[in-house]
Amino acid sequence: MAEELWTSEMAESISAGVITARVPRRRTFSEWSDRHFKWLLVAPASLLILALSVYPLLFSIWVSFVNYDFTVPGHAFIGLKNFSQVVFDGNARWSLIVTAILSFSDVTIEFFLGLALALVMARSFKGRGLIMSILIIPLFISPVIVGQTWTLLLQRPWGPTDFLLGRLLGHEVTVSWLTSTPWNFFAIIIADVWQWTPFMFVILLAGLTAIPPHIYEAAELDGVGAWRTFWFITVPHLAPMMLLAITFRLLDAIKLFDTIFIMTGGGPGTSTYSASYYLYTIGFAQFHLSQATAGSWIFLILTAGVIALLVRRLLRAEPS
Amino acid sequence: MAATVHRRRRKHPVPVARILVLGFFLILMFGPLYWVAITSIKPSDDFLAVPPVWFPAHPTLMHYTAAMFSYRGLQALTNSLIISTAATILSALLGTPMAYSLARFNTGGQHLAFWVLSQRFLPPIAVVLPIFLIYRRIGLNDTHIGLIVAYTVFTLPVTVWMMFAYFRQMPKSLEEAALVDGCSRWGALWKVAVPLAAPGIVAAAVFAFIACWTEFFFALILTSRNAFTLPTVFRSFLGFQGAQFGESAALSIVSLLPSIALGVLAQRHLVRGLTLGAVRG
Repeated sequence: MAEELWTSEMAESISAGVITARVPRRRTFSEWSDRHFKWLLVAPASLLILALSVYPLLFSIWVSFVNYDFTVPGHAFIGLKNFSQVVFDGNARWSLIVTAILSFSDVTIEFFLGLALALVMARSFKGRGLIMSILIIPLFISPVIVGQTWTLLLQRPWGPTDFLLGRLLGHEVTVSWLTSTPWNFFAIIIADVWQWTPFMFVILLAGLTAIPPHIYEAAELDGVGAWRTFWFITVPHLAPMMLLAITFRLLDAIKLFDTIFIMTGGGPGTSTYSASYYLYTIGFAQFHLSQATAGSWIFLILTAGVIALLVRRLLRAEPS
Repeated sequence: MAATVHRRRRKHPVPVARILVLGFFLILMFGPLYWVAITSIKPSDDFLAVPPVWFPAHPTLMHYTAAMFSYRGLQALTNSLIISTAATILSALLGTPMAYSLARFNTGGQHLAFWVLSQRFLPPIAVVLPIFLIYRRIGLNDTHIGLIVAYTVFTLPVTVWMMFAYFRQMPKSLEEAALVDGCSRWGALWKVAVPLAAPGIVAAAVFAFIACWTEFFFALILTSRNAFTLPTVFRSFLGFQGAQFGESAALSIVSLLPSIALGVLAQRHLVRGLTLGAVRG
């Protein structure tokens, strides 16, 4: 490879025609910085990640084995007690179930809506660019604002949703979207779907437009029907992109926090506690920081497998 | 004959269906945004009206002034601008060289790239708790610098991976030519590769900025009265029933306009941004 053959020194001497004598100190420094060039480039970013991600994670291992609690002085070693307190907490288990239900519903609905949108937008037509720009807008809005927006729309008696539904169904609708189960789940899912359907759409559209058109032309010549074309050409070609979009989205969906914080505050009771929200309340409402840290580690380990799988896939997807 | 008709229909799928589907999505997309915009200029008396007021007879800007001054929206806006801008610049400054090194020299093999990328998927709660404790010890809690550094780390995976993909698509030949012409390696990076990659760097920076601008969780935990950002102001509206709807809507509009504008401008790079460079789009 070129970078091994050419050091800048050789390049310099060639361009100058002669090997020029330099001030020795400067020369050794430039030699040194040249030799370690590639490592010097990655050093600052790596050190920062080490300081603000790896070190805190290591530090949190210690925190999870001691008693680090704003309500109790000192940091006594208490073994696995923090972990057992989380494991035997019914709210913790419930929060995992909520996280699973919500992220599964979110991702499934977003996938099908995004796919429908991508199929409709795949061919070019007049005004497609403008519509594209409009459809992606939710991706650039803070989830907090999305949650606030849907609160405005849903909360009784101020939101217009019940009124509109009443008109549509022909009888009065009095659903308390944010304060009664199961409507609060629907409310959170609606907000998430509104925000992230464009994510699926954009990635699936990129996948669709990458399918070579001659395959469709060949199918058409052979008289293959629309459904069969979809099942036997579109789906297999789109499958890697579908998988990518779904895993990406799933990994973000399991961290769900912002919309719950704004829309239901985990309530009523603890019914809409997601894992992140549960850990947040343990740490910052009850100040059991060690317990929250131990819980985060359990959550991290539970999700690590999925993370590793996706990251490896992404590395392979990289064009070489 | 029947076959031709059949084929024609498939080639141009019923536009009615497309119009219906797109219409459905556009209404769902615009409806909520319209309601926020309208709520932000409605006099408070209109909030409880039945049927709902779809357009206020007497629009007012009072919610905007209240949000900016009574709810310290202006300070939040300033903080958000400072913190997001600084973190974006830092992230681009640190991330671009790293991406270049990974792309050109395969530094650290796949492990280093893997490690950076995995940061993107860490559940924030796992990192934020210990960072909060560390910041408390060293006095970085509720400071601009504290949040800037946290955001730099949090956006690095995006910048590094977007730029990594970008550099890999760029031909090496120009840098090699520069080396032959007597440029040092550093010169080849700063005078040749970086200017060529400028569009990619700008795109990565835009996505980093949007990520910081819309981020809530870190800001919620690491700031309180001093370095609080726009999204955290929405805490003030929790629990108040209806009375603060105007202010929260006004603040939403102020906060979402800049990030939407930036996002739509960088639309061409969106797929790359969303998938960290894995899909070219």
